[in-house]
Amino acid sequence: MNVKAANPLERYGAGAILPIVLLLAWQVVGAALHSPRTPLPSRIVAAAVTLVASGDLPMAILQSLGRVFAGFVVAALIAIPLGLAMGNSRAVERNVDPVVETFRPIAAIAILPLAILWLGTGTAAAVMIVAYAAFFPMIVNTVAGARNVNPTLLQVAATMGLKRVTIIRTVVVPAALPSIGVGLRIALGVGWTAIVAAELAVGAKAGGGGSGGIGQMMFVFYAYSIELNRIIVCMIAVGLVALLLDRLLRAAMRALMPWART
Amino acid sequence: MTAAAKLRLAGVNKRFAVAGAPDTIALADFTLDVRQGEFLVIVGPSGCGKTTVLNLLAGLDTPSGGTVSIDDRVITAPGPDRGVMFQDYALFPWQTVRGNVEFGLRYGPAGNALDAAARNERVRRTIELVGLTGAEQKYPSQLSGGMRQRVALARLMANEPEVLLMDEPLAALDAQTRIILQDELLRIWGQDRPASQRRTVVFITHAIDEAVFLADRIAVMTTHPGRLKALIDVPLPRPRGDATRALPEFQALTQHIWSLIRDEAYRATVT
Repeated sequence: MNVKAANPLERYGAGAILPIVLLLAWQVVGAALHSPRTPLPSRIVAAAVTLVASGDLPMAILQSLGRVFAGFVVAALIAIPLGLAMGNSRAVERNVDPVVETFRPIAAIAILPLAILWLGTGTAAAVMIVAYAAFFPMIVNTVAGARNVNPTLLQVAATMGLKRVTIIRTVVVPAALPSIGVGLRIALGVGWTAIVAAELAVGAKAGGGGSGGIGQMMFVFYAYSIELNRIIVCMIAVGLVALLLDRLLRAAMRALMPWART
Repeated sequence: MTAAAKLRLAGVNKRFAVAGAPDTIALADFTLDVRQGEFLVIVGPSGCGKTTVLNLLAGLDTPSGGTVSIDDRVITAPGPDRGVMFQDYALFPWQTVRGNVEFGLRYGPAGNALDAAARNERVRRTIELVGLTGAEQKYPSQLSGGMRQRVALARLMANEPEVLLMDEPLAALDAQTRIILQDELLRIWGQDRPASQRRTVVFITHAIDEAVFLADRIAVMTTHPGRLKALIDVPLPRPRGDATRALPEFQALTQHIWSLIRDEAYRATVT
């Protein structure tokens, strides 16, 4: 195997052969069916151009992102302090852990009826579902991070006479930060997944109007116009946005943890 | 007694509970006075309870019996009057060299009486003292073992504790770095100053030559259970340096202490 760094074209070019062959095969076989609704790569590209040019897709994504961000922040504000408390106090951990672990296997989409019942069929319900989904990876990783702080570092701070709360702020939090960062990354991923599901349902309940967002947009294309090409454009957009979010969060974590750079 | 006892361990016992077995006795009837301004080194084979003694003095652990005191006050908790240097550097990886050195002054009571300017000056001076000027903005992961140990020493000294407790601080270093840091340690401790102005040090090591080179007195410990076997004066003149290591008295003392612990050290290698 060639270990030397090849130029990018060579590096990615070799890996692009199968995807290109599959796309070509899809196009050829699909076109041979002569059905106007069959999704084809060419039709998907055309649909993507239309949806982006009209501003519909960017608007829907922005609306969904706003909800994900809101839910993410709500979850972080609860999960990180609670996780730190659990990681530093046996009593808190013993009480909270069974509650968290009981709810954790319940999928976010399963609490949708409650969200709609309490908050109606709009942004608030969608935010609640994102927050619910994002909460669990955040708290589990925060607890693990706070629990696994090198005990000698805690002793160093204690022998300098630091107060317990100061030790948590100046030692436990920075030591747990890499683990909290992993939790945030996973949470952002599941939050984004949950928003699509939440908007599908929230949108459906609302009769297709009002709530907006990428999930609701997909539901409209499915339920009212059966535009498979457009649904696939939305699917690709969901994937690309998820990739972008993850890269952004990783860059933010790197900026926040200069000592972990090598 | 001429010199007052700064630290005192009186009839100290320490047992550790072991699940499904009788308690381990780490220390049995351990009595030791450490004088004000003295450099006391504890040597002994592995498992003799050296680190337990240090943890008791630091207040990180409490005795099962007997008392541990500083200036006749019983030690019940860690305090900024007793600074500890740990075996594995234990630097804060998220802090730069400067951040590590400044840590205790910034977040602990040691810096309460200092304004920002005085604090900065103390940090600058301490970094200079250990020879790290120019490396202030580096992170520990970017430093060699010898430099990390210098940071740990600076972090300790910046708080100006009355007592320095050091748990095998040089054990992880290679032989050459170790000799250099032994010299540096005595310089930083203030061996050039009169004894009344020196800080009290309790230093743990398993290296006998290191003990003889550094110490005013050496406490030799024995194992199972940990007891004080002998307390040996080191009358070598200060300041000490390379010439000290070549003195016949240095060699003789090293030999003598080795003879005290050789049998146990040997047994530890075959059991």
